[in-house]
Amino acid sequence: MGKYVLKRLGYVLVVFLILSLLMYLVYAMIPFDRARAEVEQYKTIYKNEPEKFEAKYQELRKELGLDQNVFVRYLGWIGIVPINGQYQGLLQGDFGYSYTYDRPVIELLSEPMRNTVFINIIATIIALGITMPLGIFCATHRGGKRDTFIQTATIIGYSIPTFIMAIVFIWLLAILLREGVEALTGLDINIFPVSGMKTPGSDYKGIQKLLDELHYMALPIIVMTVGSLGGMTRYVRASMTEALSMDCIRTARAKGLREQVVVYSHAWRNALIPIITLVIGWFLSIFSGSIMIENIFGLNGMGQLYIGSLNAKDFEVVLLIQMFYVIIGLLGNLVVDIAYGIADPRVRVNN
Amino acid sequence: MTKKILSLVLAVLMAASLFVGCAPAEQGGETVKNENKVIVGSTTDLSGDFRFPGWGGSSAGAADQDVNKLTVGYSTMETNQGGAYVWNNTAVKSHTETEDADGNLVITIEINEGLKFSDGSDIKAVNYLAYILAFSSPVVQSAEHPGKAGQAMVGYESFNAYVGDVDYDQVKADAKAAAQEEAGDAFDEAKWEAAYVAPTKEFAGVRLLGDYKFSLTISAAKGYYPYYFANTYGAVSPYHMGFIFGEGVEIKDDGNGAYLTGNWYDKSGDTYAKGEHVKEARYDVSKYPFSGAYVIKEWDKGTKQATLEINPNFAGNFEGQKPSIKTIVYTKIVQETQLDQFKTGQVDILSGITGGADTKAALAEVDASNGKFAEVHYQRAGYGKLQFECDFGPTMFNSVRQAVAYVLNTAEFASAFTGGYGTVIYGPYSPDFAMWTAVKDDITLVDYSFSVENAKQALIDGGWIYNSKGEAFVEGQTGVDAVRYKKLTAAEATDVNKAFASVENTDGVEYKTVEVNGEYYMPLVINWFGTTNNDVTDMLAARLVGTDNVKALGMVIRSTVGDFDKLLGEIYREPSYGYGGTPTYGMFNLATGWNNAVYDYSWNWSLDPAYFDYSVNKLYDEYDVAFPYYDAEGNHTKLSYADAVTASGDKLGMDYLSMAMVYDAATVEEYNQWWMAYIERWNELMPDIPLYSNYYYDVYNAKIENFKTSPFWSPVDALLYCTIKNAA
Repeated sequence: MGKYVLKRLGYVLVVFLILSLLMYLVYAMIPFDRARAEVEQYKTIYKNEPEKFEAKYQELRKELGLDQNVFVRYLGWIGIVPINGQYQGLLQGDFGYSYTYDRPVIELLSEPMRNTVFINIIATIIALGITMPLGIFCATHRGGKRDTFIQTATIIGYSIPTFIMAIVFIWLLAILLREGVEALTGLDINIFPVSGMKTPGSDYKGIQKLLDELHYMALPIIVMTVGSLGGMTRYVRASMTEALSMDCIRTARAKGLREQVVVYSHAWRNALIPIITLVIGWFLSIFSGSIMIENIFGLNGMGQLYIGSLNAKDFEVVLLIQMFYVIIGLLGNLVVDIAYGIADPRVRVNN
Repeated sequence: MTKKILSLVLAVLMAASLFVGCAPAEQGGETVKNENKVIVGSTTDLSGDFRFPGWGGSSAGAADQDVNKLTVGYSTMETNQGGAYVWNNTAVKSHTETEDADGNLVITIEINEGLKFSDGSDIKAVNYLAYILAFSSPVVQSAEHPGKAGQAMVGYESFNAYVGDVDYDQVKADAKAAAQEEAGDAFDEAKWEAAYVAPTKEFAGVRLLGDYKFSLTISAAKGYYPYYFANTYGAVSPYHMGFIFGEGVEIKDDGNGAYLTGNWYDKSGDTYAKGEHVKEARYDVSKYPFSGAYVIKEWDKGTKQATLEINPNFAGNFEGQKPSIKTIVYTKIVQETQLDQFKTGQVDILSGITGGADTKAALAEVDASNGKFAEVHYQRAGYGKLQFECDFGPTMFNSVRQAVAYVLNTAEFASAFTGGYGTVIYGPYSPDFAMWTAVKDDITLVDYSFSVENAKQALIDGGWIYNSKGEAFVEGQTGVDAVRYKKLTAAEATDVNKAFASVENTDGVEYKTVEVNGEYYMPLVINWFGTTNNDVTDMLAARLVGTDNVKALGMVIRSTVGDFDKLLGEIYREPSYGYGGTPTYGMFNLATGWNNAVYDYSWNWSLDPAYFDYSVNKLYDEYDVAFPYYDAEGNHTKLSYADAVTASGDKLGMDYLSMAMVYDAATVEEYNQWWMAYIERWNELMPDIPLYSNYYYDVYNAKIENFKTSPFWSPVDALLYCTIKNAA
């Protein structure tokens, strides 16, 4: 097992290097010149000194390593060749610099990552808590009225784009519900905030802070949860339906086992393998933000940072985020393979 | 069962909401006290870079700048409601502006005693010099700051070259040796010696004249004086010594200029230790005090929200105005849902609403609010525009630019784009400029109202009268003869113009410059580049490109839509941005504007190729060739406006006017005269076509009283004068 994991980690390293080189080359091919963008601010400073302006531009090109070829720059980014006489790459703990935020990339990631993980963990747990039993229920009541209704609802939910769902929920829960409550009770209550992450100007601590955050996160969490119900429910239902039709289940029933034991002990375990892939994938996705949700609800998350950096051509940020996801994805695959073995002894790697 | 679960979830969430999210309720007939707080919404992210937004550059975030504006005060000069720099009498006791023997401008400033930072510590002259000295030194340059704060002042170069207590003879010898090695036999020692800047500890143009008195000497030799806005170099703000320098640094002056003592230049290895301090202090929000109307109480980088509270020690702005709103919260909003946030009370001010749909929705909300909300609006100081490249292709000819101006119905365009909340201007000005107010009754501008006939006449007058065979142009032809051609003069027949051709020839017709009997004829084709996801691009495609009016003129406009960086690359002619090496596009759609009334376009129209990067339009005015600002030897004789008009035969070009406006004018009247002539010449040449100048609407909760904004007076400026109705 240990040898297998080590071997897989070796593959992870190789794939990481290949992908990082490809990504680096792709961004280098985009017609954009960071030195030119940075030197623009010097136009005012060197207003009547065009030769100094040009010299500054060349100085910036050198400073940023743009006078080197792209492969040298890549190796510099990794940290195995010096740029301007200094080793300053990933291996030295230098993860790049954000020119939009004017600070090291690594400093930018902590808060968006925290927010993204916070909201995704809650949404994922709620979604799994609903979809697992719902999918099993549909599979065990396949063809019934309730199954048909849930299938129809999940198809509709699955088909509606997230941004439309978000706008509809804002209108229903943040605007209409508020106006309804105000009309009925005269109370002006901010039941579901339209967007934002905390009460403006609040200085809450401890549990009050958590409640305030939950208050603001409630609507995006609802939208994310509802948005993911359709797909997962149908997936669990399909997997469970297939498991329930297996010979071993027929045997179990023939043995006179209770239906609950048949479903949750035998069928569910057989249905788990495809579901594990999906569930672990979901948990891995807690690190990646939802561009739509974060933008619509004004959340400072990874999705917003990623798209903002991409738009601003802040490629060192984009590259680091992407490589982080590559690592997460590769390690995730390893975890999935190990989890398969735990769920199903037949596919254990040391067997 | 499902319903029960949903009801339960909703009930729990509502209970949680009630616990933390209640807003003060209207209680039948009773006057409700309003919290003495305003929440300002911004679609721009706060980044925490409040102390020095942009770090000396021009790319500062608007929201960060707003927080900076609220927390930095007592600048010797501040901008007023009209965007003009005025002396701040709350901070400045007296000031004088004199010329020294070398023709430099000496600005001597005495500040008032009793000014205090938010922590109660005194503000003295040294606090005003702290920024200039520190941010002119190599120490801040080691922290990636441009370090040019004092570059306009006498002695900047020497002070900037000073790196601490080292052997400067050896430094000079090393520099000389390096120059010799690089130049080889071509090394000219005398020239090198003359150019060598000897480092000095003192900054000669910055003087500490007492506890509350200092002076700044603006350099004439470097061209910073005479200059119409030279006194704005005297606009300096006070900074806490600990904030700028950390521990152990003082500012002294022994008679030769101010200098920094102590450990300012100390190094840790190869880096300046204080450079690291400056880098850290840049993002400080709590350790060091503030000088402005507000202090930052909290900066939450997780939610990107800043909470500011009144600075009790703040004595007022240039009008002595002190704030009364206790708390200002600056928070991120989402453009698509900002109005929902506003009406649900999540923000109190939405600023800069523009565009037909958004403005209508905002005004409808104000109208329906029964007095709960209000609005204030103003015409933007700026405009959306068509920008021409004036050094090649058909757009290098004034007649073509004028024809486009006539054939595009800008009144209809502006109305459609702004939803009726905008207007058309025919020059590069804001109606809120003081100079516009001064000259508006005298200025004569060409009215480019929609007229196909005028457009056609402009083309005919401009020589666009041929077809591709060099014969007379006949309307209604097809193929390459559907457009007019112009015979190029020898000077106009450059390689670029001889190779000029249309792009995006989706109809199969390629128009290009043709040679007939040794003469070159250029087709009337404009290659236009517009950016993607841009309403203006879409509207121009529908209202200009391929319209019958354009066809009737014998003109074709070819459109290319692409990335903004590609557009910049074409304008900068920068290969690293994807520019192919030959100018292709003659027209772009962009926008421009002004943050203040310092109107200076000198060097933008220079005929000197060295200034190519400074020229937006690459327009080289023929009048400047005949009557240049600088003669062949690089000298300039200062003339009054009237004398210059006479000497040039009433043909003053863009370069002359833009230079004279700021370098020859000494009084407001002189400046206005040059400015008016500049606007008139610009309007005649139309290097850009202003498409629309929209109205900006600021909507706000009516609990905020006396809220008045203008293009140069943002909500954060206005809030200083506001009160909260029935404040708790």
